[in-house]
Amino acid sequence: MYQYDTIDKEFLADRAAEFKQQVERRLAGEITEDQFKMLRLRNGLYLQLHAYMLRVAIPYGSLNATQLRKLADIGRRYDKGYGHFTTRTNLQFHWIKLREAPAILEELATVDLHAIQTSGNCIRNVTSDPYAGATAEEIDDPRVWSEAIRQWSMLHPEFSHLPRKFKFAVTAAPKDRTAARVHDIGLVVRRARDGTMGFEVIVGGGMGRTPYVGPTIKEFLPANRLFSYLDATLRVYNRHGRRDNAYKARIKILVAALGAEEFRRQVEEEWEKVGPGADMPDTEIARIRAAFSVKAFDTLVNRSEAFETAKAADPAFARFARNNLKPHKRPGYTIVEISLKGIGDTPGDATSDQMDAVADLGERYGQNDIRITHEQNLVLPHVKLDDAHAVFQGLAAAGLATPNINLISDIIACPGLDYCALANARAIPIAQDIAHRFADQDRAELVGELKIKISGCINACGHHHVGHIGILGVDKKGEEFYQLTLGGSGAEDAEVGKMLGPALPADRVTDAIDTIVEVYLRERADGERFLDTFRRTGVAPFKEAVYAEAH
Amino acid sequence: MKALTANRLDDGEVVFWNKGAWVERFADAELFADDATGEAAEGQGKSQPNTVIDVYLIDLIESEGLWAPLSFRERIRALGPLNHPTHGKQAEGGAAIEALRHAAGASRSTGRVNLIKRK
Repeated sequence: MYQYDTIDKEFLADRAAEFKQQVERRLAGEITEDQFKMLRLRNGLYLQLHAYMLRVAIPYGSLNATQLRKLADIGRRYDKGYGHFTTRTNLQFHWIKLREAPAILEELATVDLHAIQTSGNCIRNVTSDPYAGATAEEIDDPRVWSEAIRQWSMLHPEFSHLPRKFKFAVTAAPKDRTAARVHDIGLVVRRARDGTMGFEVIVGGGMGRTPYVGPTIKEFLPANRLFSYLDATLRVYNRHGRRDNAYKARIKILVAALGAEEFRRQVEEEWEKVGPGADMPDTEIARIRAAFSVKAFDTLVNRSEAFETAKAADPAFARFARNNLKPHKRPGYTIVEISLKGIGDTPGDATSDQMDAVADLGERYGQNDIRITHEQNLVLPHVKLDDAHAVFQGLAAAGLATPNINLISDIIACPGLDYCALANARAIPIAQDIAHRFADQDRAELVGELKIKISGCINACGHHHVGHIGILGVDKKGEEFYQLTLGGSGAEDAEVGKMLGPALPADRVTDAIDTIVEVYLRERADGERFLDTFRRTGVAPFKEAVYAEAH
Repeated sequence: MKALTANRLDDGEVVFWNKGAWVERFADAELFADDATGEAAEGQGKSQPNTVIDVYLIDLIESEGLWAPLSFRERIRALGPLNHPTHGKQAEGGAAIEALRHAAGASRSTGRVNLIKRK
């Protein structure tokens, strides 16, 4: 992975020291809350319902064991022994004391981590493919470009006060594991017929109050022209994005208002002015690329006798292998997905002990490489099939071997009203209740791929718009109600879900999900996922069944 | 009936006003039967910006013979996150916590809405 140099390390230490002084001045009453609030937010520190929340950036969801152990350590010493992995592949600590926050930033800096640009109207942490460097599907390693974007966007003076926050996703595989089409900018690595590498540039996707699947504004941008084009795009947004209304300030609103064609024209015009001088030199890209050079893989055969024997002897491992192991580009290796969706657990939460366990397994069996997915799970991208059973046993001992990746209980949920100052309703208990209902893994596997995503408010941190089944918590005269949408997708076939009907009270939601699943099982043709069946039948049979039962 | 709440500056803890002091338990909060007394306390609370932030009055209802915040959001603040029953104020247990858990009144936090509007 990319290593910080001395200048980077000194900068992070200085930044922590600067925040320490700012906190001291605030606690001494030398600066007001209004003056201080923007300083703490610039360091990822929010005030939530019960305490301060610190959002730590995990650059493109990539960590080593030392960093994960440090997060575990901070969770143990400064929080309540856990952390919450988010849909932006960050980690949130929910029980932070202001007076201790500077010490936490100092500790994070010792392992090259920080909380910069995890809040505010700036370019946030880049989302990338958690299988980067491990999947045979990819054209290039998207981490190279994600890291280059991180360097370009970090403290970028021109783009530190945008109209609103700005989120990138970068993927290089046809199967999109980053939700690229619902980001402010989604970059999909493409290769031209002549072999030249470039990007499909998608601009103006997003969720929240006004969901859009972003239009492609450039089919093929040569890779060596990426940064001048990003400069031009951000410059058009910075100039014309609305600053009078926070709800209309994201780039998606500008792109929709101008139309994709006119937005593209303005970007192209600006791009001419910016010129290639703003592009990152090839030598710099090569330097970054070297940090992600191919690991020292052993030469193995495809079939592992140890793996096959363990599967035959241990049905629980066979199930885990079916659902949580994904194909690796190298013979004899596998990608291990670790579910943070234990039945009845809080989606995305990991205890400090669990983080330590994953760090140990990643170090021992996984080339010291650990990833976070936007679906709030963890990944060990490079595990030998020979070692997969040992990894499974280690995960099981830590309570992390739930074999439900992409199944109905692998639910995204934001922290919701249990923690968040913005939420209107809880998301966590809805996820827990649905997971309990579908705890029978045979039934869950029979249902197959079904992505449920839950948000506790319209800001959509739980990505409900792009859930195969989306659930949005709303406040109806002070009571928690839930609005269901069907048919959304955040993948390469991105789509915003369609409203099922009137919102349901909390105690009706799991029954409604059960009904929707039964309709799907009744209607599905061979090989169809839930999403395929829904796209064929439309909303009618689902609506009829759910609301017939509601009356 | 109303109570006055805020978050403590140095650790973010949810606190309630009681006769000039900030206390951590809702059960120890001073209750205001009339608006004037509550508003006077709110004024005093807001004059301590280096001790607490986000000071606002909340409406209360009766639950099991005790008082509880009317809004669900405020009951969660007075209890802790409901997904972790051992985290936050609820860990202490007892009749006052049970009354909060069982309260059924549900409404937006009026004081909070005012605070958001002012921002």
